[in-house]
Amino acid sequence: MSGEDLVVQLARFARELRERGIATGLADEVDAVAALTFVDLSDRAEVRRALLAALKIRPRDRAGFDELFARFWAAENPGEIPARESATPDRPGRVRPVARSAGGATTGASTAPGADVPEGTIPGYSAEALLRRKPFDECTAADLAAMERLLERLASKLATRRSRRLVPSPARGAADLRRSFRRVVGTGGEFLTLARRTRATEQPRLVVLCDTSGSMDSHSRFLLAFVLSLKRAARRTEIFAFNTSLVRLTPWISPRKIGPTLERLAAGVPDWSGGTRSGECLSEFVARYQDAMVDSKSVVLIFSDGLDRGDTALLASAMRSLHAKARKVIWLNPLLSDARYEPTARGMQAALPFLDVLAPAHNLESLERLLPLVAA
Amino acid sequence: MRPEIRAMQEAMEQHGYIAGPEIATAVFLAKEMRKPLLVEGEAGVGKTEIAKVLARILDTELIRLQCYEGLDVSTALYEWNYQRQMLRLRMAEDEGRAPDEIEQIIFGRDYLLERPLLKAISRREGPPVLLVDEVDRADDGFEAFLLEVLSDFQVTIPELGTIRAEHVPYVILTSNGSRELGDALRRRCLYLYIEHPSLEKEVRIIRAQVPGASRRLAEEIGRFLQALRARPLAKSPGVAETIDWAKALIRLHRDHLDPETVEETLGCVLKDRHDVSGMTSAELSSLVREAREIEVAAP
Repeated sequence: MSGEDLVVQLARFARELRERGIATGLADEVDAVAALTFVDLSDRAEVRRALLAALKIRPRDRAGFDELFARFWAAENPGEIPARESATPDRPGRVRPVARSAGGATTGASTAPGADVPEGTIPGYSAEALLRRKPFDECTAADLAAMERLLERLASKLATRRSRRLVPSPARGAADLRRSFRRVVGTGGEFLTLARRTRATEQPRLVVLCDTSGSMDSHSRFLLAFVLSLKRAARRTEIFAFNTSLVRLTPWISPRKIGPTLERLAAGVPDWSGGTRSGECLSEFVARYQDAMVDSKSVVLIFSDGLDRGDTALLASAMRSLHAKARKVIWLNPLLSDARYEPTARGMQAALPFLDVLAPAHNLESLERLLPLVAA
Repeated sequence: MRPEIRAMQEAMEQHGYIAGPEIATAVFLAKEMRKPLLVEGEAGVGKTEIAKVLARILDTELIRLQCYEGLDVSTALYEWNYQRQMLRLRMAEDEGRAPDEIEQIIFGRDYLLERPLLKAISRREGPPVLLVDEVDRADDGFEAFLLEVLSDFQVTIPELGTIRAEHVPYVILTSNGSRELGDALRRRCLYLYIEHPSLEKEVRIIRAQVPGASRRLAEEIGRFLQALRARPLAKSPGVAETIDWAKALIRLHRDHLDPETVEETLGCVLKDRHDVSGMTSAELSSLVREAREIEVAAP
């Protein structure tokens, strides 16, 4: 196989990777071709390692890569495909080595791809894209692990607001003449350093109230996972769970591993499945915590479907109080994913006048759209 | 396997770094292709060590740039030594030189504080190894600047002109994955992901890094750590912790594990409060037993 064929094969391989959702650019293909000139092309394992490095395959994409690699670079003797890398370096290449022609890379290792893989037969799909659109109540525990990563990326995009206020900054930003002159006094009129100032970054204060009753059950886990990721980005986050009573979850939350934290929470929160009494719970929040936690910079997020068994008058007054104090009140309702839904449930009706935003939260995409609203 | 790659692997081992074929291949390619190498992995798996061992193998200087949030160009690239310039100006007042001459003097290379990136570019004796450590801790702005430097390996200082690298440095970037790195930077580098080691590899690392450890102790430590990593921990111990623990046990003159010693020295491997409190004495004892029992069963 000539060098040209190798390039063509690599291009096809890269395209397959892209269709799998593994981002591979033209520059990466160039790197891959260059890398292959440095390795023993008859050693399939070595070719694989070189491609892993040159195409920059992330750990989460490895499974997809390996599958495609197995197809594109089939060994001459299929029964002897090396299955695992071992720490010992002395495993010989399993494929018949081919003499190298001067100045070019040849390979005898791969079967001609043109014959085996007709173009365009592999349907394009991106596992990541599918996961984003999958409704939470259809997700399994395994999906949660995959979502965790997406959630982290999502939460880290939470824009930290740059306020218009200028604050002293040690190194960057515009010159602060007033402070510079003040400093000069101490050094006898010499400008040794310039004081600087830059726009302050403010992180929004977040208060999250999550309905954990039965009707919200399947969503709650994922919403809590999202909130845990948010906590990493917006450091001052308070998290509460409510159904028949209000529980403050903040002290129990460790921002690192979502899985064990959720288990700990599920063990600790009473009535994980039960009916909701939003009015009573939110009133309790207003009475006990609002003064300390909600100020003009706070954003209050309420996750609930509004199906309520409690006193709606209480709910209305609690919402009025929150709305007055907080910068923004956002209500996330999974039922909104259905276009025909209208907020006719008593709870929703009572709360509606006091909401700044009413949005769905049934899959990752909807949460993504939420981010600019929280940050702004 | 290409003999050159095997040679690289053996050289790394000689200098104390046990590398599998994957690591050796990536480092070899980065060196030959003169592309930066981005190394990702959890804390303590040996990312930074790669740069150190490469510098030892190539017998060249290791220049380290430690990234942190708020790192900016002047701390990474260069800064004028204002104080020295001011003093020189003061002295020049009495000398009666022409202003142009004075300017020439105070904007000379002597008055330039070279920070790591500039040092790496302007090294005369040969290409150094530039380690940009924990690049995920720096922000987007710095990443863009770094990308520029890594693309051209030249720097323009307004007063001095453009400084081009005589010898293009070998660049290794490490990331803990705490932040998603920009695509442009990823594309610029070759990629290597280092996982926690297998039992066999970990035992070899212990024996290489802690010469006083007997084979038996190394195996027990290895098994214990492997079992520990399988549990859900907030902070999984890395190879660095394994080595520390082995050294600690040697200091305590232990040649095998026992529950009391392990409990006392648990702080060498578990660094998170929740992890430590979550480990009961019973669990610890069973882990120790497992780490030792398998050896008894083997013929």
